[in-house]
Amino acid sequence: MKTLVFIQIRDGKIEENTLGILNKIKTSIDGAKIIGAFLGKDLKDEWIQELGLHGVQQVVTVDAPELEFYLSATYTRAMMEIINQINPRFVVAAGTVYGEDLIPRLAVRNASSCAQRIVDLTIEGDSLHFHTPVRDDQAMRVTQVVGDIIFATSRPGAFFIDENPSGANPEITSVSVTFEDADKLVKHIEIKKAERTVNLKDAKVIVAAGRGVAGKENFQIIRELADLLGGQIGATRACTDVHWVEETYEIGQTGQSISPDLYIAAGISGAPQHMSGVKAKTLIVINTDEGAPIINYADYAIIGDMHVILPILKEKLK
Amino acid sequence: MKIVVFIQQIVSTQVKLQGVDYFDASRVSVDDLVINPTGKNAIEGALKLKDSQGAEVTAVCVRGNKPNKALKEAVAMGCTNAIEITDEAFYTDDPYLLAKIYAKALDKIGEYDLILLGVEEQSSSSYAAPAMLAEMLNIPSVLCAEEMETINQGFKVGHVLEGGKKVVAIPQKALISCSDSQYFIPRYTTMRGILAAKKAVIPIWSATDLGLEISEISADAASLKQISLSNIVIEKETFLIKEGEPEEMVDKLLAKLKEDEVKLGA
Repeated sequence: MKTLVFIQIRDGKIEENTLGILNKIKTSIDGAKIIGAFLGKDLKDEWIQELGLHGVQQVVTVDAPELEFYLSATYTRAMMEIINQINPRFVVAAGTVYGEDLIPRLAVRNASSCAQRIVDLTIEGDSLHFHTPVRDDQAMRVTQVVGDIIFATSRPGAFFIDENPSGANPEITSVSVTFEDADKLVKHIEIKKAERTVNLKDAKVIVAAGRGVAGKENFQIIRELADLLGGQIGATRACTDVHWVEETYEIGQTGQSISPDLYIAAGISGAPQHMSGVKAKTLIVINTDEGAPIINYADYAIIGDMHVILPILKEKLK
Repeated sequence: MKIVVFIQQIVSTQVKLQGVDYFDASRVSVDDLVINPTGKNAIEGALKLKDSQGAEVTAVCVRGNKPNKALKEAVAMGCTNAIEITDEAFYTDDPYLLAKIYAKALDKIGEYDLILLGVEEQSSSSYAAPAMLAEMLNIPSVLCAEEMETINQGFKVGHVLEGGKKVVAIPQKALISCSDSQYFIPRYTTMRGILAAKKAVIPIWSATDLGLEISEISADAASLKQISLSNIVIEKETFLIKEGEPEEMVDKLLAKLKEDEVKLGA
């Protein structure tokens, strides 16, 4: 099966969910021909070699100044050019903000739909079945996309990266694209990179809060408890968005991924965007809502108000 | 400025329906239905523009098989008009078909400047709908907006990005999907709004009114086919403490952690 993977770069490296997809395809689809669609400006050879290592047999590049930053119209045009030349059966991207923007557009251009945020793909006969968790991860919907080209995105964190990749150098094909003025109606102004001054990846203990913390001043107890346990603090995007805490502490799809021994989550509902960045050995939850999705992942949970529970916990741990 | 906001009517997350039961319409009562949370964020985005520079805000909802509460609430929040789109034949679990219905509704509405929607839906079906709609209409778009401001003949929009935020400029005739950021936190309904909602006459458009054939928008037309829907069973056993005074609860937790030899501390 000719499979076209949209290659994404993050922080100067091949984005890890994209590598995850490559591994998933390699191990799930027998005889897949993996083709990387690599768009950007000044694409580096080392990236192309790394793609080869991870199983990409052919890399189709569009290297153009118009592609320096992701913009829907320019990227859709360039991807369509590649699709028309390559004629893939399956087109897939990591479900990042860009991937979730691009794939539905390509599907529309092909008068079709797409499967989204898949966490697994299985083969039934000669068709692909996509597994997507729905309703706050309480149910699993399995779908199939009918059409000449099948489109899908993966959920970040769903697929593991091959730790010992051993692929060969890929064939490289360069495609040129003519952009039109109509592609440039949205103008890139800037990317504000969140300052990542604190590395949460290696933290053994993390005490984190979500919207339920309800105010900047209430982060004090989170800090105190983290200090007491010799750990770090963490937060959901809802908290960093309103500057209750510095953005470096954001955990989840758009923040840092963590794998602590102990994760204490207070006032966090457990939305998939947050949980996709969390792999904790032991998860303790404090939440007023027994129905919050995070309870399903918890090893221990207190149904109660974090503002009451945490100070007591701190005193008893002293 | 004419703004169209697409909202959905969904089952509230407060309703204790687990897993697949959530998707069983017969188990859901009208009281359980609410506007999708990010749809409310989109309404807020529209109302902010209405407040600051004057705008006609039309809320549109494609409803399922239950009476429409969502649109009354939209008017109570401050939307100028509301339109309900209803047809037994609609299959909205495929975002492509949903976007197609939206596009047809816009054709019938006629003139508009800005389209706002919420970023994500619980049932997951409409995550792609905003991008699909923008593509069908061939208009510029920004997804996952966190904040927006009016600039010369358009908007400056900051949107969610892995590892930060991206800022772009977009013309006024555009589509923006709104996140649940602070900027879009929805306002409450007002007494005046509630009265307006009571009086509001909400037109109902069918597939035929939109010029759609049943064969174009029914389940048979979907290219995203559902094969199965089943409960996810998480085998993790949670030690749940939900009764007692706060201090007792903490004691219970600490005793259990000790028993399980969980190390507290780095």
